[in-house]
Amino acid sequence: MSVRVVIVDDHDVIRVGVRESLDDDIEVAGEGRDVESAIEAVRTHHPEVVILDVHLPGGTGGGALDVLAEILGTAEAPRVLALSVSDAADDVVAVVRAGARGYVTKSISGPDLSDAVRRVNSGDAVFSPRLAGFVLDAFNAAGGEVAQVDEDLDKLTEREQEVMRLIARGYTYREVGEKLFISIKTVETHVGKVLHKLQLSNRHELARWAAQRRIV
Amino acid sequence: MCDDSGVSHSTRIVRPLRREAQPASWWRALLGLLMLTFALGLVARRYGMDQLAPWALPAVVFIAALVLVWSPLDGAVQSDPRRPDVVSLFSRDAWARVVVGVGLAVAAVAWLAQWDFGNRPLLRAILVPVATVGAAALVLAPWWMRLIRQVSVEREQRVREFERAEIAAHLHDSVLQTLTLIRAKSQEPETVARLARAQERDLRAYLYQDRCSEADSVATALTAAMSEVEDAHGVAIELVHVGDAPTSDALRAVVRATREAATNAARHGSEPISVYAELTAAAYDVFVRDSGPGFDPATVDPDRAGIRHSIIGRVERHGGTAAVASAPGSRTEVSITMPRKEQR
Repeated sequence: MSVRVVIVDDHDVIRVGVRESLDDDIEVAGEGRDVESAIEAVRTHHPEVVILDVHLPGGTGGGALDVLAEILGTAEAPRVLALSVSDAADDVVAVVRAGARGYVTKSISGPDLSDAVRRVNSGDAVFSPRLAGFVLDAFNAAGGEVAQVDEDLDKLTEREQEVMRLIARGYTYREVGEKLFISIKTVETHVGKVLHKLQLSNRHELARWAAQRRIV
Repeated sequence: MCDDSGVSHSTRIVRPLRREAQPASWWRALLGLLMLTFALGLVARRYGMDQLAPWALPAVVFIAALVLVWSPLDGAVQSDPRRPDVVSLFSRDAWARVVVGVGLAVAAVAWLAQWDFGNRPLLRAILVPVATVGAAALVLAPWWMRLIRQVSVEREQRVREFERAEIAAHLHDSVLQTLTLIRAKSQEPETVARLARAQERDLRAYLYQDRCSEADSVATALTAAMSEVEDAHGVAIELVHVGDAPTSDALRAVVRATREAATNAARHGSEPISVYAELTAAAYDVFVRDSGPGFDPATVDPDRAGIRHSIIGRVERHGGTAAVASAPGSRTEVSITMPRKEQR
């Protein structure tokens, strides 16, 4: 079963590179070069996954955030994998909070990218080591003593922290499972829950952390 | 910590993603004004027109005049409340509003001046000039703001010009030089890859990161150390760092040990090499992991100084611990833990 994707990036070279590096069972349905053409391409081709660059020209200046606001929220909305050269924590977390199901850097290898696309398509979350690091930072899990919080949403469980930490250390999902003696499916569940928390939490710490890095 | 300095963001070249708010429409102000008038009408019915008319009606007229004069500002204030773009006040389609608004304001003040203030001449002598000056200030404020704005725009232009020159200088010193080098060495793929990687890292740091000194930020120190290993051995290291603090002696020891561990990984292991560092209030944990082929730690010749002295010994001298986990055919992971007692 092939996955239909739309590639959005403002650089021709990158779009060509991404298209070439994807596996044969991933079909590139369309491309976008800015906010407007990205929305247009998604509406025309109805892809299952959008590979979305974080910084895009056009729109109101929000780049990927503008695209996400426009294409998500409908029943047949595609799943989004954010692709970026940006190492800036605020951009990455803003895009994930806006609804992207995963984040990978442009230095990712072809097979890994194809794998990430398939994972996102099947509803799982894709966390690169860097994103896992940002999450640990954002939820102040690194602070050790986490203050008593009312909502479960505002806190990573012990297990989720372990999973995030191992991903940040460069473990693949499979290796995380082996290390913690859990199945790869369970690892995926934990990562999915963390994604959910990252998107929905209005934790005080997260707000403060975001404000420090100027995330709205 | 440089995150907290507040000014750090001005050093970042690429602006964070930002979405602009939609400008609200001016009719909301008019609607509010209508409701205010209605309320005044009700009050007038309650207390009688004579009591209210001499000051309330001029006030309403004056507010209407203010709304007219200031209305082109609405969109400008929405886009950036701190620095309203008063230029729109002086656009062509705004001048009619300004003329009518100023006329109304003058009429309102004149109207108020007609009133005898319930036969209290002293009160009148004080209030009329005060009201006149206040009204003039309110109506003329946009012009005054434009003056201030012009000064700040000029200053901003100078700053921007300066920044542009600095960016151009940086690009020249870094990217252009590297490109020239790459063209000259195009026959040596290894060199080209190394140059490109070093340049990419440099540019990335320049564009996306807040710049700190190594003494202020252990994250910066570790990043610099990993960059050196990348350059020296031509490998890519994926570094993830959580938390940050000024570099103490103990933390510096960890950075040196990590550097040694990463060098070993680069020399004996294969890519990808991951380095994860987590600085908490309690400890500084660093993990260095390569992708094989691994070795049996028990068979390492005791004379070999690398692991024992440079990693374990160095960390233990500062009260930390370090361990190497590996086996032939699997990945090697060096874990370093340094308690942070001295910080508290």
